[in-house]
Amino acid sequence: MKTRKMTKTMLTGIALAGALAATAMTASAADLKIGVLVADVSGEEAQGFRSYYENYIAENYDVEFVYTDALEDAAGEKAAIEKFASQGCQAIISLSSSDRATQIDTCDEYGVYYAIASGVLDDELFETYKGYEYFAGQVGPGNATEFEAGKAMGEYFKAQGVTSVAMYGAFIPNPMHVFRAAGVIAGLGDTYGGTNDMYEMIGQIFADQKIDPAKVEGDVALTAYLQGYGDTTTDEINAAIQKEPEAFLSVGMATTFFTQMLNEAGIPFADIDSFTQANGTAIKEGQLVYLAGKYSSSIGPVFALIKNAVDGNPIRDEEGNAPSFSQGYLVATDGESFDEYYVADNGDAPIYDKETLDSIIGADVTYEDFKALVESK
Amino acid sequence: METGTLKKKSGGTAGRHLVDLLPFLALAVLFALFCAIVKGKGYRLDIYLKTIFNQGVVLAVVATGAIFIYTLGSFDISLGASTLFAATMGVLTYNATESLPLMLLAIFGTAIACSLFSSALASAFHIPAFVTTVAMLSVLSAVSAQIITTRGGSLGGIGIPKPVVKPLDNPPFKIALLAAFFLLCFFVFQLTKAGRRQKFIGGNLVCARLTGISYNKYAILAFTMAGIGVGLGAFLTLVYTPSVTATTASGIGMSIFVAIVFGGMPISGGARSRIHAALVGGFSYILLNNILELVLEGGSAYGLTQIVSAVFFLAVVYVTSMNYRTALLPR
Amino acid sequence: MSTAKKVTGTLAIPLLTALVLECICVMNGNHVITNLKSFNNFVVYTAIVMITTMALSINLNSGRFDFSLGSIAALSAVTGAKISYAMLHGASGSAPVMLLITVLAGALLGLVSGLIYVALRLPPIITSLGVTLIFEGVLYTFTGGKYVMAEVQNASMSGFVGTWVNAAILIVVILLAMILIFDHTTFGYNYNALKNGQKVAVNTGIREVPNAVLCYVICGALMGVVGFLNAARNTNINGGQLNFGSISIMFTAFLPMFIGTYISRFSSDKLGFLLAAVCMSLLNSTFAVFSNAITASVQSIINAVLLVVFLIYLNNEQLLVGTFMNRGQKVKA
Repeated sequence: MKTRKMTKTMLTGIALAGALAATAMTASAADLKIGVLVADVSGEEAQGFRSYYENYIAENYDVEFVYTDALEDAAGEKAAIEKFASQGCQAIISLSSSDRATQIDTCDEYGVYYAIASGVLDDELFETYKGYEYFAGQVGPGNATEFEAGKAMGEYFKAQGVTSVAMYGAFIPNPMHVFRAAGVIAGLGDTYGGTNDMYEMIGQIFADQKIDPAKVEGDVALTAYLQGYGDTTTDEINAAIQKEPEAFLSVGMATTFFTQMLNEAGIPFADIDSFTQANGTAIKEGQLVYLAGKYSSSIGPVFALIKNAVDGNPIRDEEGNAPSFSQGYLVATDGESFDEYYVADNGDAPIYDKETLDSIIGADVTYEDFKALVESK
Repeated sequence: METGTLKKKSGGTAGRHLVDLLPFLALAVLFALFCAIVKGKGYRLDIYLKTIFNQGVVLAVVATGAIFIYTLGSFDISLGASTLFAATMGVLTYNATESLPLMLLAIFGTAIACSLFSSALASAFHIPAFVTTVAMLSVLSAVSAQIITTRGGSLGGIGIPKPVVKPLDNPPFKIALLAAFFLLCFFVFQLTKAGRRQKFIGGNLVCARLTGISYNKYAILAFTMAGIGVGLGAFLTLVYTPSVTATTASGIGMSIFVAIVFGGMPISGGARSRIHAALVGGFSYILLNNILELVLEGGSAYGLTQIVSAVFFLAVVYVTSMNYRTALLPR
Repeated sequence: MSTAKKVTGTLAIPLLTALVLECICVMNGNHVITNLKSFNNFVVYTAIVMITTMALSINLNSGRFDFSLGSIAALSAVTGAKISYAMLHGASGSAPVMLLITVLAGALLGLVSGLIYVALRLPPIITSLGVTLIFEGVLYTFTGGKYVMAEVQNASMSGFVGTWVNAAILIVVILLAMILIFDHTTFGYNYNALKNGQKVAVNTGIREVPNAVLCYVICGALMGVVGFLNAARNTNINGGQLNFGSISIMFTAFLPMFIGTYISRFSSDKLGFLLAAVCMSLLNSTFAVFSNAITASVQSIINAVLLVVFLIYLNNEQLLVGTFMNRGQKVKA
């Protein structure tokens, strides 16, 4: 009796599986198939990027985007690239940075084009890989740009006359956040470990694995510092608020985690994030007073790099290497300046719209054309 | 954990044999289905199979070693963190000495030492081994993260030069390694007195003690075998991607549970423990997840994949344990 | 046991903890609790730890290992947040409505978990693995893997955890309810009988299945409260917790559970869980005071070491007492 029941259960399972297999037999019809490596699926910026590719680019070009889930480690990234290669993806766009070297090596092994859209390679790694045939290039804020973005934020508050701040280091030792944090300290006119030189500061921050408030010296006091997100974060932000800083400066993700708490506490805050609806509400109705951000369509040029490469016109710099284009941040300090970027980059008319992108897609497009456009935006 | 004295009427010898074969049958069906879907979609099966193997082999070796711990009726939740820590120590050693043998020594030494430390702590101070492994999970993860982020600097991770392990990143080598480890485990588990005694301890610790079997002695053996599995897993992780980040191998710890149960072994250990369970279950689990990923494409597919995978997991375990129902609710 | 000994035994650990931590803070020019705001946080965190510990202990004490607690907390909170937001759009009264819905959703999820356990008759550790994966998958599908924020960021929610009073009321109500349910009802008597002797209890006619299912329902409801408090405190709920990402909440409750069990020798286990939660909350507040110096990694190591050290003491108490007494006698001799 039981054996029969078991056999029946198994047969049902196999039949179900067969049905699943039948539903799966649909292949992509698009000319271009791009795999996107993603480490963050929940952040405001990540969602904006995805929406732009899926809702605008895919509508206007014959392209299909395939996304990974949130990738956790280098093995996950490599396996995802291999699966994309197997699925016939001609190119990979990377928004995940556990092991960029292995990503490029793997793409090279499978003959798949590769481009970086977030968290660019540092100089040493870029030098190593810039000559690889399938490395199509990178577009995004470089480390020096990250430092400058933090510095501009610090300078803004210094100019406002603040004398004490609390700071959120986001996910230090993530390099992007380290450079921004060092910039903030420099912008405030303070020193870290006795220096305000970018490289000396970041070297110390990497060694400390955090910002040590005891090493910050200068006119503007750092009353509290926190980083990461975990069980004790709420207590730490509460402890920071209790120290009554005149401003709360964040190098990322504060608008995701702390908007409500800082609004309630009435502490003006700043962040480096993106121009999204939620951040618009925070700057118009809340205590967000400074937002350095990228707009969602800022990843348009990366698509153009890939499209050109797949179409047989890979963009190379003067020396024949993969290009590296730096993008700056846009800064909003009130609702009006926020809307200037947010509204302009929304819906059917993003900043990198089809007409703009078409000017850098094609057989005749050169490195100079690309550079001129990207640096103008 | 189980109340074997209140077993209901079993399904007979044929039924039991069929149940024993079900994990293999499930693996075969999943494999065939996977191949059919990949082919049907026009994807390249060769690349996909290589990827599946690479994903499964680390889980399979770590879980196969862990079977010795599970057989005793205990479990170790820190194996993922141990794998990370062993790989971290391996990278540090290689970068300091540029010697592959020394790197291997560091990896296996660290893995076995971590495993034995949990066991020794539990034995010496009479605390449940599970609790020591929870503590080890926190400590090893935190220490590894500290080392990796401090040394990794702007790269966010540490690694060894790719050419060191590139020649080993091929299926024949990995299959040979997996086979050698499996045969070693099979020998110890099935063909030695130690293996039989471990099952006895897992089945009934009190009776085992009354017959003069030392729990500590076999716990040390079990944790040593698990340590070897962890070392091998750490090494294979480095062979696949020669870098380590703070999240490397983070998913292995809990997947081991699923793999072992999927392979037809009770989590309570004892006489029904099977050394092949992790191998069969590990690859079945990886295949199932990949099949679902292929079938359920779309925005929220990863959530749906996990739901269907979990339902399938419970269904398989339910079917494979049909002959072992008890009147009392199992604990 | 004399009343004095009971009182001393019950209060010794929390008082000692408070004393040691306060001394550490004072030596560094601080206090564990500096003002009303930090006291509010302290009470809210105490409530979270106490309720989680109780939920963990209900099934664990009966030999039922349950990995699904964290996923129930997150999924019930998301359900409560979405429904209450759809009803009130974050207006006044959102917090109590969300609390009510979250508790009901938690109880329902607990019921599902319990029914799966009794229907499949698999070891609970296995069913809880499957249930955790299912609930996490539903959570992900429900939220698209994103943080749920707008639904829980309103004045009503921040007001609820902005004062210690609400959390204290929850602590008292839940403590009394747990004492009533588990120590003064037929269900509770049956639970204790099944806990201490499953086979004998069943043979005497106690119906195990409804008792087990009700345990899961109660655990679910408790985790609903935890989910609500976490959502209000953190001002967001993480919807992207796949592959057992939700289980860490369970590990944080181990230490208070062991401390509470120790304290229960001198009083009730429920009171023990409350006092253990007070200890953990004091430690958490101290970490917050030193957050500039103690990283999350170090906190994690400290918690792990405390867990092991406490268990070593707990399991070797007689041995330690014997050793010290012998040494004392030798010294006297």
